[in-house]
Amino acid sequence: MNATTASTDGRQPTDWKTDAMQRRIRARYRAEKRFRFYGLAAVFLSAGFLAFLLFTMVSSGARGFTQVQIALPVDFAASNIVIEPEQLDGNDREQLLALADFQGLAQESMVAAYGDDGQALFSNGAWVQLRNAVSDDPTLLNRSEVIWMPASTEIDFAARGDAGENQSEERLAMMERYQALEEAGQVRSALSWTFLTMGDSSDPTLAGIWGALKGSLFTMLVTLALAFPIGVLAAVYLEEYAPQNRWTDIIEVSINNLAAVPSIIFGLLGLAIFLNTFHLPRSAAIVGGLTLALMTMPVIVIAGRNAIKSVPPSIRDAALGVGASPVQVLTHHVLPLSLPGILTGTIIGMSRALGETAPLLLIGMRAFVPSPPDGLTDPATVLPVQIFLWSDELNPGFVEKTSAAIIVLLVFLLVMNGLAIWLRNKYEQRW
Amino acid sequence: MSLFFLFALVIGLTAIGWFTARMRAAQLRPTDGFRAHSLPSYHGWYVALWLGLPALIFLAIWAIFSPGLIEQSVLADPAAQVLPDSEIERAAILGEARALADGSLGAAFNPEAEELVPAYQQASGFYGIIGTIATLLLAFACGAFAFLRVRPDFRARNRVERVVMWVLLIASLIAILTTVGIVASLLFETIRFFDRISPIEFIFGTQWSPTSTTFSDDPGSFGAIPLFWGTILIGAIIAMIVAIPLGLMSAVYLTQYAPARVRSVMKPVLEILAGVPTVVYGYFAALTVAPAVRDFAVNVLGVSSASSESAMAAGVVMGVMIIPFVSSMADDSLAAVPSAMRDGSLAMGATNSETIKKVLIPAALPGIVGGVLLAVSRAIGETMIVVMAAGLAANLTANPFESVTTVTVQIVQLLTGDQEFDSSKTLAAFALGLVLFIVTLLLNIIALGVVKRFREAYE
Repeated sequence: MNATTASTDGRQPTDWKTDAMQRRIRARYRAEKRFRFYGLAAVFLSAGFLAFLLFTMVSSGARGFTQVQIALPVDFAASNIVIEPEQLDGNDREQLLALADFQGLAQESMVAAYGDDGQALFSNGAWVQLRNAVSDDPTLLNRSEVIWMPASTEIDFAARGDAGENQSEERLAMMERYQALEEAGQVRSALSWTFLTMGDSSDPTLAGIWGALKGSLFTMLVTLALAFPIGVLAAVYLEEYAPQNRWTDIIEVSINNLAAVPSIIFGLLGLAIFLNTFHLPRSAAIVGGLTLALMTMPVIVIAGRNAIKSVPPSIRDAALGVGASPVQVLTHHVLPLSLPGILTGTIIGMSRALGETAPLLLIGMRAFVPSPPDGLTDPATVLPVQIFLWSDELNPGFVEKTSAAIIVLLVFLLVMNGLAIWLRNKYEQRW
Repeated sequence: MSLFFLFALVIGLTAIGWFTARMRAAQLRPTDGFRAHSLPSYHGWYVALWLGLPALIFLAIWAIFSPGLIEQSVLADPAAQVLPDSEIERAAILGEARALADGSLGAAFNPEAEELVPAYQQASGFYGIIGTIATLLLAFACGAFAFLRVRPDFRARNRVERVVMWVLLIASLIAILTTVGIVASLLFETIRFFDRISPIEFIFGTQWSPTSTTFSDDPGSFGAIPLFWGTILIGAIIAMIVAIPLGLMSAVYLTQYAPARVRSVMKPVLEILAGVPTVVYGYFAALTVAPAVRDFAVNVLGVSSASSESAMAAGVVMGVMIIPFVSSMADDSLAAVPSAMRDGSLAMGATNSETIKKVLIPAALPGIVGGVLLAVSRAIGETMIVVMAAGLAANLTANPFESVTTVTVQIVQLLTGDQEFDSSKTLAAFALGLVLFIVTLLLNIIALGVVKRFREAYE
């Protein structure tokens, strides 16, 4: 039959066995393989970039959690600090410690142990360590003890073997000094929690992220306290009760648009409204929280609407049928059933707010804040802004601090997103 | 009595009102054979709302106006006659006196402030008592009114639910309020900016050097063309050259070729790229990518003018950030193509790649284009990567290895320098913000329109 059809319109059936055809098929299969390989390459290139980014951050940030320390023998008993350990049990402990001349003691000990230029080996604020040590263990005051103190930035570079680009003589001398210390066992590189417990400082050996973490915490609290209730209520209204009219359309359009507005525009809004119209304090966590709440709210509304939409209408009908009022249907059935979805959306919105930087720069949260904030109206900074500020520092010692802060930020985001995924997998129901 | 204590007191009264009204409603006997209309807790809520809401609203208004009233009466005090006439000094002394009076300050800097302390304490005590009495009176009066209405036939539930509806409506109106706030604040400052600089010069001028305004009366040059060009070069050209092929091919591979296990691992991995904070990308671009790009340009390509703040570095990193957006939009559009089209093509003997290239992608094209437009709008509004990795010099150049600046960089730059709010510099930032807002809005509307029309065609 084939032959007859072919002969009627005057065409021969394709002979797949000819060389030309075989070549063509091979070429097509090669193209197929090539295309598939391009796809795989694209996936691996993207994933490889992520891996490279994380590797860079971890490898340069790991040192940020350590501190180069030098042994300093301190003779507290022979010093001119005349506090008795028993005195420190009293209420005026803080005052006594603040008045005592630990700085002088540190200087004397440094000169005694390492010669006239001994102070250059230690970080400028190292003497605070002495006070903390005494505060932890008052009996030190009657003894002589070897205290490990943070080294100066110069020693820090020497420990890294970084001679600098121009290899200045001072730098080389410092490296020799470091070699000598190392041979004598007077220097160590220890894991140090000070990075997590100290505030910002202009000295990289003393800078920590506690202030920024606390600022982030306050800001996120304000954001959550505002964006979550407003977002959920708005989602409920739009999904359950809103009449089909012009106003509802306007609300929906503005929520969808707000979700797509660049974050920096919210910074401009915060600057113009909260700072210049309402005169709220500059650089404060409350203004940052308000600004980020406006940014996060649309995300929560959209996630909340999807979660509420996925509750089947039969549940609402059944509840209404046995006499529940519209609000009872909501509070007894719809909200509990959609809560996991709402919470997942909220966590994702909050994790985006936690990593946000640009709007906070505009409302002045980029100030240098050495002491952690104690309230919502205190000047504060947040973790991403701290990263930005440190990345601008000229002192190369901040490079590893920046990367270490990035590691902390990424860990927080990972935990939040992991929590969201866990919530979704554990409680999500398919109807 | 401090405002916070009063607030806590009203909340406490509200709770008590809720409990007593509920108890009373629970003890109601049926009248005329009717059972009670509403559950006891609804009567509780009704009384609590009447008790708490008016009092709290009054308290909020009182908190705003009472400091002014206190200040008035302090200024009327004989001790205030010696105050200087200057508005600023007067405010400083009054502020100090207030701090002294409530004990948050130990000692005065101005001796006048010390004099005013008794007047302050007296006035704030007087108004404090008035505020307390008024709040409590209001709470008790409204609470009593509501309490008397607790009867079996009273429809408390309907009243309470009406309040709930109002609360829901007000919550959703905040979105409109935010949009209006954005548009109003941008528009208002932009109009003030255009009073000084002509809009024509702003939109078509090619000279951007706003910094010259700080020390002289010269208004500076506010021609924004170089900024627009820089934004397009980084966000719409370089970033898209990276993001479109990688994102599209990733989506094609993951939806059409990858085994289920690979897909379930790689898809979340790509999504992590979208979750990394932009400040991290910015740091990475500035620290690692930018020097590498410059060395590459200088040593391999021989571009001696290559800058360490090149458009290339910022654009490439931004492109990587955008990959997941392009990929997930392409993923959705490919999945929305009816499988009959794919099966038909495969049945005709086309290979997988031919089917994808000649059938799936053309059919999914509107969705993909919509996704790309959304990605562009995302890229041009992105701030931290360009602030950290791109330059500040407003160059009008097509060379990707030179330094260019963008709209967002300049907004940050203009607003984080001096704090004076009325200068042309700060106003220019709002004008740039308005341009950015309008462009991203248009891109989003177009993109959503394209996607929507496409969806309708197949469903």
